[in-house]
Amino acid sequence: MIEFLSLIAGAALVLLLMVVATRGWRASRDLDELPLARGDEEIAEPCPEEFVRRIFSRADWDFVRGVRCAGIERLYERERRRVALVWVRQISAITRRVMRGHAEAARQSKNLEVSMEISILTQYLGLMAVCAILSIAIQVVGPLRLGGLAHFAQGLSQRVAKLQESLQADALAKAAGSRAA
Amino acid sequence: MNDKTTTVEDAYQDFVRRSLSRISGDLERLIYLASTRDYNTGKYHHDGLAAQFQTDIACQALELAHREIFHRIAARSLEELVAEVEVYINASRQSREEVLEVWQKLEPYRVALPVNVNAAVAQLFVSNVRLALAILRRRQEQEAMEVRAS
Repeated sequence: MIEFLSLIAGAALVLLLMVVATRGWRASRDLDELPLARGDEEIAEPCPEEFVRRIFSRADWDFVRGVRCAGIERLYERERRRVALVWVRQISAITRRVMRGHAEAARQSKNLEVSMEISILTQYLGLMAVCAILSIAIQVVGPLRLGGLAHFAQGLSQRVAKLQESLQADALAKAAGSRAA
Repeated sequence: MNDKTTTVEDAYQDFVRRSLSRISGDLERLIYLASTRDYNTGKYHHDGLAAQFQTDIACQALELAHREIFHRIAARSLEELVAEVEVYINASRQSREEVLEVWQKLEPYRVALPVNVNAAVAQLFVSNVRLALAILRRRQEQEAMEVRAS
């Protein structure tokens, strides 16, 4: 009996993974067709908060449901999923760039604070994990139920960027001080 | 009359007062502003503004206006955007069906994106216009069915 249940659970898991993989493949195919989604490594600024709120808000969905057309509801889900994935891709691209800049500066620094470096690395890994979870979750359940997680990722990415900015300012101040001395 | 003391903000205010305020609806303003941009160089040009301000100041003022209008529209709810697209279509000289069909097929609104705009914001705008067009098309079909039924 236990073996049979394990078999059922295993089959269900494989099926679930196949659904996630198919959705992921379809979503990434949609993104690759988009010229807007390319070159996001060059984006200097993260998406403003008000737009992030709009991407994950329920208000537009409620309006679309009021139209009472299954085709438009499907179109909405597809389009909003695509926008949300562009945003996640952007957040992780910006974070990677910030970390590359920080790693570059850290290599040249002579007085690294280990606790600070561990804190930055922890935040970076945390954010990358949230982005990975968001990407999968957006493809599986759509962005509507993920507003809280998206808000968390947005906040975390801003913290990483601010931390990097303050470290850079500190490094510049120290460099200027040592030149003056 | 090239007054070197004028700023981009002066040129922008002048443009808003004299030109943009006469256009009804933000979508029409957006399309108009995008049309002042050269496809090859990405530089903006407006004869009236260029006659009053330095070329680069006029260009920057138009770019600023373009970005502002774009962000205003992109931040709208889908419901508001549907109303905005409807205003634009009703104001055009072509038939409603024709404009809806061409906009859905050719997606000319993609040309209205400012340069270097945030990719997620640009995608949100494009997606929302696509949805607004589908909703208006659906309403149009429903109206046609009601007319046929009555």
